Amino acid sequence: MHARVLVVLAMRNLRRHLRRTLLTASAMIIGGGLLMFSLTFGDGSHEQWIDSGVRLGTGHVTVERPEFRVRRRIDDRLPAEVRRAVEEAFASPEIAPYVVATSSKLSINGLASSAAGARPAQIMAVDPVAESAFGMLDERVAEGRYLEPDDRLAAYVGAEMVESLELRLGSRLVVQAQDAEGEIAGQLLRVVGTFRSGVPEVDRALIHIPLTTAGEWLGSKQDVTNVGVLLDGSAATGRVADRLERVLADPVARGEARVMRWREADPALAAAVAIDDFGNYLIQAFLFTIIAFGIVNTVLMSVMHRHREFGVLQALGLTPGQTGAVVLIEGFTLTAVSGFLGVGLGLLGTWYFLGDGLDLTAMMENMDEMTFSGVAVDPVIVPLFTARRIVQVLVFILFVGAMASIYPALRASRIDVTEAMKFDR
Amino acid sequence: MSPITDENNAAVRTAGVWKIFHQEAEEVRAVQDVSLTVERGEFTALAGPSGSGKTTLLNLIGGLTRPTRGQVWVAGREVSEMSNRELAQLRLEQVGFVFQAYNLLPVLTALENAEFPMLLQGVAAAERRARVQELFARTGMEGLEDRRPGKLSGGQQQRLAVVRAVASRPALVLADEPTANLDSHSSEALLDVMAELNWDLGVTFVFATHDARVMERSRRLVRMVDGHIDSDETRA
Ligand SMILES: Nc1ncnc2c1ncn2[C@@H]1O[C@H](COP(=O)(O)OP(=O)(O)OP(=O)(O)O)[C@@H](O)[C@H]1O
Ligand SMILES: [Mg+2]
Repeated sequence: MHARVLVVLAMRNLRRHLRRTLLTASAMIIGGGLLMFSLTFGDGSHEQWIDSGVRLGTGHVTVERPEFRVRRRIDDRLPAEVRRAVEEAFASPEIAPYVVATSSKLSINGLASSAAGARPAQIMAVDPVAESAFGMLDERVAEGRYLEPDDRLAAYVGAEMVESLELRLGSRLVVQAQDAEGEIAGQLLRVVGTFRSGVPEVDRALIHIPLTTAGEWLGSKQDVTNVGVLLDGSAATGRVADRLERVLADPVARGEARVMRWREADPALAAAVAIDDFGNYLIQAFLFTIIAFGIVNTVLMSVMHRHREFGVLQALGLTPGQTGAVVLIEGFTLTAVSGFLGVGLGLLGTWYFLGDGLDLTAMMENMDEMTFSGVAVDPVIVPLFTARRIVQVLVFILFVGAMASIYPALRASRIDVTEAMKFDR
Repeated sequence: MSPITDENNAAVRTAGVWKIFHQEAEEVRAVQDVSLTVERGEFTALAGPSGSGKTTLLNLIGGLTRPTRGQVWVAGREVSEMSNRELAQLRLEQVGFVFQAYNLLPVLTALENAEFPMLLQGVAAAERRARVQELFARTGMEGLEDRRPGKLSGGQQQRLAVVRAVASRPALVLADEPTANLDSHSSEALLDVMAELNWDLGVTFVFATHDARVMERSRRLVRMVDGHIDSDETRA
């Protein structure tokens, strides 16, 4: 019974000081809105970084031999049954709904040479059709074209390597690497296309060749070193990787395979996302600290002006704690309701007006191509809305509400009733 | 040994009660060794010069302050050892307060103010309404049910405070200078209301007052000087 009476009192007090209430509420509404706006765009741009990163690399989740990452040798091919198990898992009803594209490739280190000299090369043997769906390099053609299914002895070469080896479209180059027998083998290729990814390390060293060509050259047939999957969002990474780990429990235990999440495969990217998030959190924490102080201040002012009222409440039989509860309910309701409203408006506004993305091209005009930790950044940022983020924000708002109300509530509970009831003014 | 309960079941009994305030180095003996019994149904005034300890004694009786020494029983229960929660419960169940002014909750209507303690007590809605209606009728407050305190005259506010204090059926009503902010006409009206409630319903009233009218109309007049009782007269 008490609780309901206290709530009624608190609500009436909020309504009575409507202007103060609205002023405080508007701070929370704006704060909540900005918070949602900035987080959805932060998440959206991170999702783009991740997407670009994993497309250029090995996918959100990839299966490879444990030694592959350090050695990148032909010996690090996946056993045929592991590859089959992974490809079956990708097609299974648990994983298939999340899959955008998969790619099985043979990726090794080697040497590329022309009349102009020799350069270390990262040779990636791919199925041209699967890779066009999976990666983005096929869209970054500088000259010529990407690999096609019927290509034999074709090479798609990074623009900087093309320059340093003085190659042109149609030029020949020789690639050398260890073959399946452990011998050094060379292969003559013809440049069918060149690309510029925007990431110098990639443009300097990467060569795509058809998987069939590699199989013949190296005696590795259709074998691959990685099977990767591109998911419809990074959020599914954990679920898919866990599933694969269950499916591959035996080969993993035997040391024949390893399931890698994008965070492990690309720690620099993971760090970039974490650092950017941290910066965003810091700004939000700062913003909300200011808002919270504003709320503490208004609620505290109202407590000061209502000493007599709290005195009356205690004389009527409320305990000091219940008196404080009235203030707590007031402050908490005010912040929580307006904060939630702000979050709702922020979500709706962002979704309605900017759901298709915010084009920052104008801001990036003077930069050739922006790269961030090895990833080319798209100037159009599309906000990302996730339930997890929204819940997190709502919990945060409740926390701010509680923090901003506790101190004034304590003050209200500690008033000296006899002092408050004195009549000397 | 003093008894834990007061067998007489008086509305209030104090035994050798002291309240000492410490102000800087100074000791202020606001109430000194007061032993006083107020039986149920009394209409008693505490008089005395300013600073003689009237308010402090009422606060001790009402459980708003704890005695430095001595004991206080309200409706037979010893209050000096009670926890904050128990004291709040005692005030809720046994004590009605009327202060000099601004007694009411500004966000509630007259009716809601009057019902507030009963709401806390858990009295059923119909019963609350019936009690308040009867008291509004007795005190000339009919028709003012939906007004906020800010829209009532000083006299109406005080009558409303009395209605609220009485409606929850306490063992006694403590009124600290209830007429001090009122003109003589409103003071008389308020006194009429309280005297009638005392006479008809047997409500126990204890006033602290400077007002000669209040002293005249009370049946028992306790005079305080420097924190102790100087005289105690009951009129026939
Ligand atoms: N909280 C306190 N701290 C220190 N001294 C106090 C406090 N409350 C009351 N006193 C002192 O105790 C004494 C009695 O005060 P009290 O308010 O009970 O007198 P009173 O009879 O009600 O006076 P008045 O007629 O002016 O209302 C006074 O000297 C007063 O200054
Ligand atoms: Mg006084």
